Amino acid sequence: MKTLMKNGRALVSLSVGLVVAVTATPGQISPPPLRWIDAGTELVLQSEISFENSSGRLGILNAAGPIETKGHAFFQPLGINGRACVTCHQPANAMSLSVDAIRERWRATKGKDPLFAAIDGSDNPSAPQERESSHSLLLNRGLFRVGLPWPPVQNPTPEISVEIVRDPTGVNRDPAWGLKSAKPTISVFRRPRPAANLKYVLAPDNGVFNVKLGVLLDRDPVTGKPVSMNMMADARAATLAIQAESAYRDHQEGKGQLRPEHLNQIIAFESQVYAAQIFDISAKDLIEANGPGALGPMNLFREMAGVLNSPAKPVFLSFDRWKSDTEFRQSVARGNDIFLNRTFWVRDVAHINSIGLGNPAKRSCAVCHNAVMSGMDRAPGWVDLGTTNFPTWTEPKTWNEAGDLPVFKLTCRSEAKPHPFLGRVIYTSDPGRALITGKCADIGAITMGQFRGLAARAPYFSNGSAKNLIELVDYYDRRFDMRLTTQEKEDLVNFLRVL
Amino acid sequence: MKRLTHVFAVAILGVAPVYAQNLSFVTCPVVRDTKTVPCWLAEYNGEIYYLGNQGGVAQDFYPPQLNHEVLVEGTIAEGPRVCGGVPLRPVKTSVFLEINRACYTILPIEDGIEAPERAPGRGPVSWVRSDGPSDVTLYFDFDNDFLSLHTTTAVQRIAEQFQQTKASAIEVRAFRGSLRLSNGKEMVEQPGIAGSRAARIREIIEGLGVPKASVSVILVSDVQPPNGIDDPWSRKVTLSVKK
Repeated sequence: MKTLMKNGRALVSLSVGLVVAVTATPGQISPPPLRWIDAGTELVLQSEISFENSSGRLGILNAAGPIETKGHAFFQPLGINGRACVTCHQPANAMSLSVDAIRERWRATKGKDPLFAAIDGSDNPSAPQERESSHSLLLNRGLFRVGLPWPPVQNPTPEISVEIVRDPTGVNRDPAWGLKSAKPTISVFRRPRPAANLKYVLAPDNGVFNVKLGVLLDRDPVTGKPVSMNMMADARAATLAIQAESAYRDHQEGKGQLRPEHLNQIIAFESQVYAAQIFDISAKDLIEANGPGALGPMNLFREMAGVLNSPAKPVFLSFDRWKSDTEFRQSVARGNDIFLNRTFWVRDVAHINSIGLGNPAKRSCAVCHNAVMSGMDRAPGWVDLGTTNFPTWTEPKTWNEAGDLPVFKLTCRSEAKPHPFLGRVIYTSDPGRALITGKCADIGAITMGQFRGLAARAPYFSNGSAKNLIELVDYYDRRFDMRLTTQEKEDLVNFLRVL
Repeated sequence: MKRLTHVFAVAILGVAPVYAQNLSFVTCPVVRDTKTVPCWLAEYNGEIYYLGNQGGVAQDFYPPQLNHEVLVEGTIAEGPRVCGGVPLRPVKTSVFLEINRACYTILPIEDGIEAPERAPGRGPVSWVRSDGPSDVTLYFDFDNDFLSLHTTTAVQRIAEQFQQTKASAIEVRAFRGSLRLSNGKEMVEQPGIAGSRAARIREIIEGLGVPKASVSVILVSDVQPPNGIDDPWSRKVTLSVKK
């Protein structure tokens, strides 16, 4: 790709049939399909592009028209480590990053890609950066280090005291980067979220309240309007602007603030890009007249955001036409029905079972994943599903067993409201929202992510613990004792992979 | 331990005075699975009581939580058993925040035991009493400052009333409640609860644009003695928009 760039501008275009085509300027040999966009690459991303993945093809829609990456703030390195936004938000990976792509970059660049920058692309910035083992969490789970100040900026007197129980990367006990450093920091490791379909991610719930907690929603400091609080795993950034500034400093190691024109360009790009699977090796073309109305990026562009699941407008609209179609399509339609209608006991989930719905609540997936087209929660969606907190976490059974993630023992003050289902002493690999609020009840609460383009961006969950969709479904099956049959699991996986 | 409470039927109905039994007790809640929605029960003195169905946050009844004890305050209603229990109507439930792992009973679906269908509409709301657009009383679960959907909406209306009428102030009076259980034991809410409720409400009012200087907070230090009847209504905050 770099060779091609030296010779001139590469055009990434898409035919009507949404087949990938990277066309060179006249006289050149056709380049290989675009898989990875380096920071600083100069090309034109056409309005519609597609990228192969193991399940089929992902479509990217630039609703504002072709994007010239030359000089574009999303695609150019702005900080000092050579990264750009695109480094961790690759179009081929639904504007996130798959672990396969990360490994390929390691192989292709022998670990020299800015992706592996010491600051957060390694397990510990103090570790020898040339070693593959120093980047194990990124290479094995697709996780970046997120270092957050402790106590939190938002709450200098948190309800929680923190003890490091297990520190396999060494970063949390590191004298320069850890909890006892000059800038006391807790490092957790998380997946990058897709920077696409953001109108759905950013659409606030109706009104001004976080109905789950009975408090006001955060507001955009510029417009004063309520925000969704659904963008980041711990909801720490209210707006794209705040997130971009933070990413510029923390991930690109930029100094000062982004220039206004760069900030505007980043926000404008992120606000118009849509990603979804468009072709499946079994379902075939997902974009067809009278086909399921939720599939593909164009439908994401057309539909309205902020709509709540209802019988009239289910989360991913209707798959009824596929119920009498090929075997695979029937399976997808059944998966959609399971997602919408199959009830099970949702239990011990903080900020779901503790907000007036009762514990347990006999509900379906779509009750929490209730936002039409995205499968997120229309209300602020940070919940303690249990992936990061003992005993339901995805990690080895106990905290003293070997594992690759850190483990913290959090003890809540006696006068603080306890975590509703875990009490006041909690072992966790990521305290989630509690790292921002300092509240005991928020320990392990992670904002649920969108369901789109899943086939292009494994692994799943914020800690990358589900290597594939079957592992994701298996976790829910175990966690909630859903007793899914093998067929039901397969149907759910097939359903998720075409989104 | 059950007490008879004198309840006067409305005179214009020409109904003779009737007696209702009020109950107030702390127990582990029980959830009963049914073919439709689960219903919530509680056992007291060898009897099973029906509290309500699983619903949404727009409903008045917020179901209890397994892993937690629940305070049940209700009145025994006339009529047949519901979902296998004697119905309490009205009923208030307060989830105790501390965990009790012993509270974890899920009863399976059983033939003949059904959850009642939900009445159309949202029904009366026990979280809020409005005495006109400028005055509202908010009620709380025991030892809890959680603002339900109904309560936050009422606070928002008060802030809007302040702005629309160009009023001078909003007065927030916060109370700490007490209760008498049916076994005679009395309980008082924790000392800081009134302040905590007032602070949350103040934060919302100010967040909605009411100037800080226009919000006055009064923490009522007196605790109303419990009587085992009206106790749920002692856990309250009143909001008044002042001209």
